[in-house]
Amino acid sequence: MSVRFAILGLLAQKPRHGYELRAAFEAVVGGDANWDVKPAQIYTTLERLEEAGLVERSSDLGEGDEPSRRVYAVTQNGLEALSEWFNQGVSPDHQRDEFFVKLMTAMVSGEAKMDRIIQTQRAHLYQDLHAATSMRDSYNPRTEMAQILLLDKAVMHLEADLRWLDMAELRLEEVKGQPLPEPEIRPRGRPHKVMTDAVDPPVISEESKKA
Amino acid sequence: MSLIQTENLTKIYGSGETAVIALDHVGIQVKEGEFVAVMGPSGCGKSTLLHLLGGLDCSSDGKVIIDGISLAEMKDDELTELRRKRIGFVFQFYNLIPVLTAVENAALPVTLDGVKPAEAKKRAAEWLTRFGLGDRLENRPDQLSGGQQQRVAVARALLSEPALILADEPTGNLDTRSGDEIASLLRQVTKEYRRTVIMVTHDPRIAAYADRIIFLKDGKVVDETQLERKGGVEIIADKMKEIGD
Repeated sequence: MSVRFAILGLLAQKPRHGYELRAAFEAVVGGDANWDVKPAQIYTTLERLEEAGLVERSSDLGEGDEPSRRVYAVTQNGLEALSEWFNQGVSPDHQRDEFFVKLMTAMVSGEAKMDRIIQTQRAHLYQDLHAATSMRDSYNPRTEMAQILLLDKAVMHLEADLRWLDMAELRLEEVKGQPLPEPEIRPRGRPHKVMTDAVDPPVISEESKKA
Repeated sequence: MSLIQTENLTKIYGSGETAVIALDHVGIQVKEGEFVAVMGPSGCGKSTLLHLLGGLDCSSDGKVIIDGISLAEMKDDELTELRRKRIGFVFQFYNLIPVLTAVENAALPVTLDGVKPAEAKKRAAEWLTRFGLGDRLENRPDQLSGGQQQRVAVARALLSEPALILADEPTGNLDTRSGDEIASLLRQVTKEYRRTVIMVTHDPRIAAYADRIIFLKDGKVVDETQLERKGGVEIIADKMKEIGD
């Protein structure tokens, strides 16, 4: 999704050949190690942008008919779409979390000790954090800002994961001795409301079952 | 050969029913030139451990051994000598003297120890310059940022050329950027200046600058992790792709 707007932005800077765009995009995001975009993806995106009227082939420089050799320019509609994108906030993607599944599986299966699982993950994350920090500190802020920013993000995500582990550990301590979560069996028909003071044991909600 | 180690180190506060076991038979070894972080939840004993390592308190049982000598076998003045010369301390709140300049603050401990003021100030200026404070030598603490004050504190700790630096939440009072700078500085102190640093912290980002983390819980060591790992860089490159895609 962000690739199409990055292309609009690069074309807003100046009209470009198709083949130029892949290299330009990679330079913006800090190199192909960080963002693996295939040439086909660029050309497909260009064609879609053209269909949507957001880019157009600029004056014919006799470069032939392959997308890589055509020169593209952004249209007025393209500039408006770009502006709209700049003016919107972005909600981060919710990523599938393998460790979360591991933790829940351990709880339900009883096959592993919870505190061992958490400590193993903690140690692993600290090693990742150490590597990310070292890597970030090796970059030159004048020439490698994209890499540094991405690594700052990696560092902070890892920090968040570590803080979540501390939280998970605390919460598990708190509910020690309470029954294990069982999948909730939905009763048929209209549920009747019951007012109760009793505290229910933890159950796995419908939303988390979708994950 | 470890520079500092503990054997069955135990510290109990109070007695009888109200006794609190702050440290419970803790055994650790720290090698020369290592940067070790000690972490754990509130009340796990990490600060107690640091105080015992620095000879600031005595244990209820077990030993602290520095350079082959048990602290318990040292007399009071030997312990004082140890704290003044062989160990440097860095605390959370910098503990600088407000009426003294950066260079005077850094020079103070060795001046009190008998080093001539001029020599002490020269050494202090050298360390402060190495830490990027060459143009702040004559500033007082209220003219320095938190990060700069803590750098003065680290310079001060190094002036007596100790082999061991003990840091208790050194970044606890600093913002993110300054905290990273101090953690990086402490790492430099071990790698470039070949000292040993043991640091208590609750901040994951700061702990990650260390070579190894010792995890404490309820007064016991529950785990130790070496942070340098084979293939570390490739794993991070993959992670960045996940974020980038």
